[in-house]
Amino acid sequence: MAAGFVGFEITWKADAFSGAPQSSSAAEFGTLGITFRARKATNEAEWQDALANLTCAT
Amino acid sequence: MSSTDARLQRVPLPEPIAGLDRDGLRVAIQEEYAEVATHPDKGFHFHTGRPLARMLGYADAWLTGIPEGAIESFAGTGNPFSLGELRPGEQVVDIGCGAGIDSLIAARMVGDGGSVIGVDMTPAMLAKARHNATEAGITHVEFRAGYGEALPVPDGWSDVVISNGVLNLMPDKLVALTEMARVLKPGGRLQIADIMVQLPVPQDAKADISLWTG
Repeated sequence: MAAGFVGFEITWKADAFSGAPQSSSAAEFGTLGITFRARKATNEAEWQDALANLTCAT
Repeated sequence: MSSTDARLQRVPLPEPIAGLDRDGLRVAIQEEYAEVATHPDKGFHFHTGRPLARMLGYADAWLTGIPEGAIESFAGTGNPFSLGELRPGEQVVDIGCGAGIDSLIAARMVGDGGSVIGVDMTPAMLAKARHNATEAGITHVEFRAGYGEALPVPDGWSDVVISNGVLNLMPDKLVALTEMARVLKPGGRLQIADIMVQLPVPQDAKADISLWTG
């Protein structure tokens, strides 16, 4: 099963929790605020093409 | 098996979280965010309000005319609008809309020719969002009770789905993302703010509700 999104991209990462009024478990796991974008495939052909070229960059 | 199927087989599906009381988690989240709605100055383990909006790069122009009641209860983790301002006439779904700040900003961006549906599961937040929309004089936004895992939105209704600091609170991310895909038109956009962790989370921590909410 897959949701069917293409063009996934994390565009921003930053510490959004330091300095909050109460202590948080966020720091324990290195939690960052992020923004990401993606787009629903326009049609089945675009989805299959995205799957065929699926890579996970690290 | 096709090469495409083989690729999908290599992408691990998220495992259900053993030992997590999902109903209890929802109650805990609702209680936490009811406090954010009703006592926004209480002080939480996350930033809130106008200082948070500034920290996340919300333009002053976006906040002009947005009721203070929407701003004070803002508890996002990023800026969905940094991914692009929404276009006039677009239809937008805001998942986990809270007291409505992002929904109201979105409504301003899409104008009277567009529309916004804000969805939230916390009654106190919904009530506050509806009040804020009335106060702002914005009529092309509607706030609906519901869950991110079962959106009260028709198939293919939306040009854009936004959400801010909410996906992380849903145990089954694939169900939530599938719902986002369902309500989007083909080619529709996700503009999401959320969180990520940089260290492994042990299984017993995943089942600890207090770590989800605090």
